[in-house]
Amino acid sequence: MDDVVVLGCGLSPFRSSRFDGSIRDWVAEAVLAALADSGLEHQQIDQSLMAYESDHLAGQIGQGVIWHDTLGLTPRPTARIEGCGATGGLALRSAFAYLRAGLSRCLLVVGAERVGKSVSTATAGEIFAMSSDTDWEFPVGGHFTAYYALLMREHMRRYGTTEEQLALVSVKNHGNARYHPLAQKPKELTVDEVLASPLIASPYKLLDCSLLSDGAAAVILANRSWAQANVPRFSERPVVALTGSGCATDYARAGDRPRDALAHFTAKRLAGEAAYAMAGISEPLEEIDVAEVYDSYTGAELMAYEALGFCPPGASGPLSEEGVFSLQGELPVNPSGGLLGFGAAAGATGVAQAVEITAQLRGEADPRRQVAGAKRGLSDCHAGTCTVAAVHIFERKDI
Amino acid sequence: MDPKVKLELERLRADDPLGRSEDPFADFREVLLLGLEHRFRYRHSLGKSSRFFLALEEGVLLATRCERCGRVWLPPRPVCPNDLQVTRWTELSGKGTLESWTLCPRAPHYARTGEPYLLAYVALEGVSTLFLHQLRGVGPDALQHGMELHAVFGNEPVDHPLERFWFEPLEL
Repeated sequence: MDDVVVLGCGLSPFRSSRFDGSIRDWVAEAVLAALADSGLEHQQIDQSLMAYESDHLAGQIGQGVIWHDTLGLTPRPTARIEGCGATGGLALRSAFAYLRAGLSRCLLVVGAERVGKSVSTATAGEIFAMSSDTDWEFPVGGHFTAYYALLMREHMRRYGTTEEQLALVSVKNHGNARYHPLAQKPKELTVDEVLASPLIASPYKLLDCSLLSDGAAAVILANRSWAQANVPRFSERPVVALTGSGCATDYARAGDRPRDALAHFTAKRLAGEAAYAMAGISEPLEEIDVAEVYDSYTGAELMAYEALGFCPPGASGPLSEEGVFSLQGELPVNPSGGLLGFGAAAGATGVAQAVEITAQLRGEADPRRQVAGAKRGLSDCHAGTCTVAAVHIFERKDI
Repeated sequence: MDPKVKLELERLRADDPLGRSEDPFADFREVLLLGLEHRFRYRHSLGKSSRFFLALEEGVLLATRCERCGRVWLPPRPVCPNDLQVTRWTELSGKGTLESWTLCPRAPHYARTGEPYLLAYVALEGVSTLFLHQLRGVGPDALQHGMELHAVFGNEPVDHPLERFWFEPLEL
């Protein structure tokens, strides 16, 4: 079957506020960068998929078609893709399906979200909490840091995971962000600083929580045969192909899941297994060179290591202490800085992960965060407390 | 600011976030911010879950039982996700055990609760799922996994029917 290849990638800077532009402007920035990266003209794109989570955050319904015409892509087809935090990953998966089905030969995926200071932190929290159950979770004072905290408490009880081990994830990801010029919060932190940051919902402190970001990301994907025929210099550049896509779901309220699964992201495990099967991976820790995982909270990154088979259940904390997932470790995770250090702009996140993995596999990342010789990478994002999970595998597949 | 415009206005100079020496958007660096507000009001039906909320007036907790698979769902499910059979209401003792908890020093502005407050997953007697609610009458240091809890109904006026009750330790 014809490979699906990544032709171009672009990012807007992720910032706590981008009042210098509107979300349409950030989308344009990311797409202009992706087009420049690909060497394509925008008229060569035959379909767009627009990934964004919230009409409330944007104050605009039907943004996707507005972005599409902002980019001069009318009268070509477009569609909005939405799956809360998994939005960007679902857009990649949809792109894969469109290209494999022959509905498109060269497709633009755009992810963007306005989560910065256009609304107060309290309002952003309220809007995100409205993606939990508004009849049953929201009215008792539920919010996402608390939902994740309830899962992590069980992880700590069951496996002895410590707050220090959580803090190490924050230290790592903020530290990695120092090597990404578009990152929102590059910072050299200590475990003590993370532990001393204000408590939000025990065990989570402020520096265990992902950022609120304004940002956009764009990826241009195509069938390899189309790319060979239409893209200047295609054979001269490193080729990155999307070789695996997995998606799975779980009950939206974590309390409805099997009781012994509270400390595990079951949907992520299943999505990972599906992606691994498609890409022919049996030993993820050995066969994957670099990963961007959904670190909405520090503990969510630890739970992701386990769900994605990087380690057995319960082993993520100790392995984190050993530095297995640091830039110099066996499997560097979130070299971009992730949602904690690079930024979190819901719909943009899953797409920005693909941008980072592509840069890593091409060997084009900043040398300070480049994983040497990376040939295969993984991106992972999820909705809610892992209600929808989307996992993708990218591989270097030069001609 | 333009006195003819009633919305809150803020004018600012926004520099290129990338700090490029030749800013491609140099013509576009003057920015106007508007204070916008949307208010929506819903007549929101609690639908087939309504009986749970109505029973709270009597100090009773209800859940739904699937006659086919025996699973008891709370929050209620008029249709059991296991086998898509229509369920029946069943009355609970209101007792349960603590499965997981979190201490929140600050409450979100939409939550009408004191601060700090505790949120918990409670394994209710006879229920297959875990129920999320507030835990009161106890400090975080006294909490233990598996400790016995019971539903307590308040008399104070509340906004949302779900706030008619919360959980407290059965014995301290």
